[in-house]
Amino acid sequence: MARLVKRRVNARPRRRAGILARQAGRRPGPVDPHRRVFLRLHVNGADHTIAVAPHRTLLEILREDLGLTGTKHGCELGECGTCTVLLDGIPVLSCLALGLECDDRPVVTVEGLADGPTPHPLQEAFTELGAAQCGYCTPGILCAAKALLEADPDPNRDAIREALSGNLCRCTGYIKIFEAVELAAKRRREPRAAPSRETLFGRRD
Amino acid sequence: MAATRKVKIGTARRTETIDIRVPETEPPIWDADAKLTVVGGSYPRLDGAAKVTGKARYTFDINRPGMLHGRILRSPHAHARLLAVDVSKAARLAGVKATATFESPTFFAALDETDESGKPVEGAGEKAATGPRRILFAGEEIAAVAALTPDIADDALDLIEVRYEPLPHVVDLEDARKPDAPKVFPDGNQRPATVWSAGDVEAGFREADAVVEATYTTPVALHNALETHGAVAEWQGGKLTVWASTQGVFGVRDDLAKFFKVPSRDVRVISEYLGGGFGAKFGAGVTGVVAALLAKKAGAPVKLMLDRQEENLATGNRPDSVQWLKIGAKRNGALTAIHLRSYGTGGIGGGAGVSGPVRMIYACPNIKTEEQDISTNAGFAMPFRAPGFPQGSFALESTLDEIADRLGLDPLALRKTNYIDRPNKGLMEQYDLAARAIGWERRRPPAENAAAGPIRRGFGMGTATWGMYGGPPADATVTIHSDGRVECICGTQDIGTGTRTAMAVVTAEVLGLKPEQIKVVLGDTATGMYSPASGGSVTLTSILPAIRAAAELARDKLFRAVAPALAAKPEDLEASGGRVRDRVGGRSAAFTAAAARLKSALISAQAARADNYPGVGIESFGAQFAEVEVDTGTGRVRVLRIAAAHDAGRTINRLTAESQVNGGVIMGLSYALLERRVMDAPTGIVMNPNLEDYKIAATLEMPEITPIMMDVYDPANNAGVKGLGEPPVVPTAAAIANAVSNALGVRVRDLPLTPDVILAALARKEQA
Repeated sequence: MARLVKRRVNARPRRRAGILARQAGRRPGPVDPHRRVFLRLHVNGADHTIAVAPHRTLLEILREDLGLTGTKHGCELGECGTCTVLLDGIPVLSCLALGLECDDRPVVTVEGLADGPTPHPLQEAFTELGAAQCGYCTPGILCAAKALLEADPDPNRDAIREALSGNLCRCTGYIKIFEAVELAAKRRREPRAAPSRETLFGRRD
Repeated sequence: MAATRKVKIGTARRTETIDIRVPETEPPIWDADAKLTVVGGSYPRLDGAAKVTGKARYTFDINRPGMLHGRILRSPHAHARLLAVDVSKAARLAGVKATATFESPTFFAALDETDESGKPVEGAGEKAATGPRRILFAGEEIAAVAALTPDIADDALDLIEVRYEPLPHVVDLEDARKPDAPKVFPDGNQRPATVWSAGDVEAGFREADAVVEATYTTPVALHNALETHGAVAEWQGGKLTVWASTQGVFGVRDDLAKFFKVPSRDVRVISEYLGGGFGAKFGAGVTGVVAALLAKKAGAPVKLMLDRQEENLATGNRPDSVQWLKIGAKRNGALTAIHLRSYGTGGIGGGAGVSGPVRMIYACPNIKTEEQDISTNAGFAMPFRAPGFPQGSFALESTLDEIADRLGLDPLALRKTNYIDRPNKGLMEQYDLAARAIGWERRRPPAENAAAGPIRRGFGMGTATWGMYGGPPADATVTIHSDGRVECICGTQDIGTGTRTAMAVVTAEVLGLKPEQIKVVLGDTATGMYSPASGGSVTLTSILPAIRAAAELARDKLFRAVAPALAAKPEDLEASGGRVRDRVGGRSAAFTAAAARLKSALISAQAARADNYPGVGIESFGAQFAEVEVDTGTGRVRVLRIAAAHDAGRTINRLTAESQVNGGVIMGLSYALLERRVMDAPTGIVMNPNLEDYKIAATLEMPEITPIMMDVYDPANNAGVKGLGEPPVVPTAAAIANAVSNALGVRVRDLPLTPDVILAALARKEQA
């Protein structure tokens, strides 16, 4: 009996493109290993002009070419959200974005959240409430949460769930992450706000 | 020499004083009477700032000058003979610096027997094999390359030519049990059963007023830590340094020393930050060995991090289970007999046993358990947060609820009827705390719920237990510098649980400082301060007693140095609130001023973990209650709330302890509702080795979680601390399944509770 087996292609982006082309019955186009394109990237307020292979993803450029390892590598398939960064202020999965798409557009990574020596309220709240456990998903979650607070300064719990629904975390149970985003939202209005004692089901003692 | 000491044990509600024998050198146990000012507070992680700024460097983030990138070629066949591997074309590709092939059946044999759980993880039973290597599962390692860039390494894999002779395979648990199934190992697929018994179950069933029996199934689950397995390896001369994504730096060191036949002092393993482990990251594993091998061949550092697919094929899993369970009880709910018969597959590994909860949690005079591992052509099992317990708990707690329903008893009352009481146990209070938090009085009998509309609510509960003690060897050093800086040094690793901060809390308690004033050094075998691997909930129970003892020795040295200046006797001094104070004369000095009195640049004290005290049982306990909502039209389960009351002996850091509970609950929820590895029987491959088709719980599945940490004063060790890594994941699936069954009025017996399982259960009910 013939069976359709979905064989996933889990490889570096360039190889993935080649395998997908072959699976679709096409020969992958000739790849010139020495071909480079010039990109102007604005990352965390700094300008970089770099020459990279055209297939290079934003994640690869950030981590391997610019040495910004704060952005994490989790699946390279757009499934886990650990590589989330902000492009034009919008959260994108940097493992799926080509560097070419980011030419001349502002990119913000976890390294760029702080205002000089002053941490972003989200960074403070995540530290204070223990929302970073092993910490591997944290940079991506911080970026997604920053975009949320820019769009909605006072998000309710459902809005936070929705905004962070593409970011997987295997350690925290998310609760402290929600609470930290809520605290950061409050602190942006009232810098000395305290963490809420209220929970959905009553007060915490 | 041992001394007899009086210790006050128990809980806030009740205490008693007992005598126990402890080594004379041990500091007094932090028991119910200990007045502690730092321990038990809520402290943000010391490394929080590093984690929120991207400065924390995980193994994946390590880059070394001249570093190459490694990739592994894996078998597409679930069962095959490996006839030939030709890497010559790959080796000639520009940019490829090293290749390695694994054609010998004994290539990785040095790694056997090194798995923490004591299970063979690679080609078990084939050590003496000759002839072509037999590939036992799709994803096994065939060859590897190291190249200048990851892309070149990828291209090189395409150029490796491999000849296989495919053999018949079996990946399905039930298929593998058939007599004519392809044999995974020469002696067949059915491993010898493990039988344990107490009393006489048949006599127990004869005494019972109600007997319930049923069969439950649970799926294979995949760890899926967000950071995949991997290592960066670098040789300098004959010495090897490895940055590893690991739960046990010393285990990795010893594995590599064994594999490369070098003394362990020539191997240094570092793991400063780890992106999750959950039991799959013990030992060097094939990944660590291959990284070091390629680095040796290339004469350059090599980074080898697995991708998500490899992670889900070849780094471990939680075995599935089929559990037949028969339980008998008297009319009042007192258990008379429990009989468990189970089997499951850990692929080519073992570890499918599930009997822990049956044997440990409830009082029952007659218990029999029979468990069997079945071999299949699938990736090997590794310990997965509370190995065996979530599976066993699901079947046990489900059956107990069925008995309670049958006898018309409240499920919580039935658990209390079968309570095993001990003075150093807080479970009865945990039942009450969690029941109050969830509003257990709102629970209705299943028949009443079933009369409700299409969306139904239900309540369920389960009990957590875990009993690993930690122990020696574990060593620590505490150093006080003359400028007042304090370092706490232990080679152990912080796998995300907050070990680093807990070390600081205990050191700060002894020295009268604040946790943030302590510099913690960990995650490095070069410290020489040994620690066990972080698994089985043994990290803090092993290292904190050593840290406390070292801190007290260092403090006493400081007291001797500063006593003359305060005109006091050293034994009259105490350290608290950032000062060193004479309890008799009343004079005091700031800690930094006291440290400045040192006649050397620093003083240092080292101490070792004492043996576990004889005759002291130190299991951790917990109780979890769930409220769920089930849509009987769609079969969708929504968990509304989990109340989880736990203890870890004396809580060291409330904030990180609560995080552990939250994290255990979401992992248990994910297991209950979503996770399942799917194998394709004809091809023998994993169908969902990724995070899209293998779904783990995300924000939208989150219920409200109420974590309740209670202190239990237990003479577990001098710090009175017990394990909390595993317990919170143990009863979550059981509590959810019981709540779903309560809502529907029909038992659900198969995890995960996906809509098809729910709708099938409802259909069964209609037919009945």
